[in-house]
Amino acid sequence: MSNVLRPYLAAVRSTLTAALTLENFSSQVVERHNKPEVETGGSKEVLLNPLIISRNENERVLIESSINSIRLSIKIKQADEIERILCHKFTRFMMQRAENFIVLRRKPVPGYDISFLITNTHSETMLKHKIVDFIIQFMEEVDREISEMKLSLNARARIVAETYLAAIAT
Amino acid sequence: MDVAFRKIDIDAFDDEVLREPDLYEEDPRGPAQALDEAKQKQVAVRSALARNDIVDALSIVLDNPPYGPNVEEAKNVSLQILLTILNTTKSTEISTVIKSLSMDARDILMKYLYKGMGKPGWGDISGSVLLGWHEKLTEIAGTGCIVRTMTDRRTV
Repeated sequence: MSNVLRPYLAAVRSTLTAALTLENFSSQVVERHNKPEVETGGSKEVLLNPLIISRNENERVLIESSINSIRLSIKIKQADEIERILCHKFTRFMMQRAENFIVLRRKPVPGYDISFLITNTHSETMLKHKIVDFIIQFMEEVDREISEMKLSLNARARIVAETYLAAIAT
Repeated sequence: MDVAFRKIDIDAFDDEVLREPDLYEEDPRGPAQALDEAKQKQVAVRSALARNDIVDALSIVLDNPPYGPNVEEAKNVSLQILLTILNTTKSTEISTVIKSLSMDARDILMKYLYKGMGKPGWGDISGSVLLGWHEKLTEIAGTGCIVRTMTDRRTV
């Protein structure tokens, strides 16, 4: 893990660990329903204060917690147009396969690039520290993944341009 | 057929519906008084900082901070003061400073750290400074401190 990113990820890790104290909670409005309260937002007393962890304007994490679910949204660093496109494609690819990731949300919260929804069922069937590890590992790798894609995209573009222009030069 | 009535939130008309003010006691000080106090604290903190007494400066600003709605100005002034203190503290001193704070002061400091991180680019907020403090504070006060920040409705 790079040294610059470490305090940021440490802060996300500790906040997420603190937020992941979920319990089963049935809907107060509809009988025999059980919904993630952070999504319905129906009653104020079961929602907790949302927390934001940010490195700078372009990199931040929003953690909204409630009694039976938490929603974690990530804003991924996007320095230029290429990174913005790559990030959009990458997150879209994953969100279309959200059911394979179990905790991934199909749509990001406005203002963020990707969101996770962890409910009490997830924290009961899976190990809590493994869920935290997964999110942190995801955050570590998404930056690396996007910069790698950007490099290979540039390399490819260079080869294409060279081949194309070589045909004109002869 | 008009179906707009289906969108009406009938639960909001219930007598027993829970409203925002029911969740916590409002700040007893009015907006003007809170702002006044914040400004007084600003002066006190400046003199404490001039003496290089960071613990004293922090305890002044973390004592009885303005909270709740209506006191936005006082909150901004308090955040500004706190940021000045955080930015002037050397990173090697942070642990000793936090250790000498009381439990309540630590909780309030955590609230301010999250508030500062919540508005990047505002004033002289520096993400790395806040993250450094956050890490040290979590080390000393534990995750319970973060939980109290999440659950306490009296947002600073």
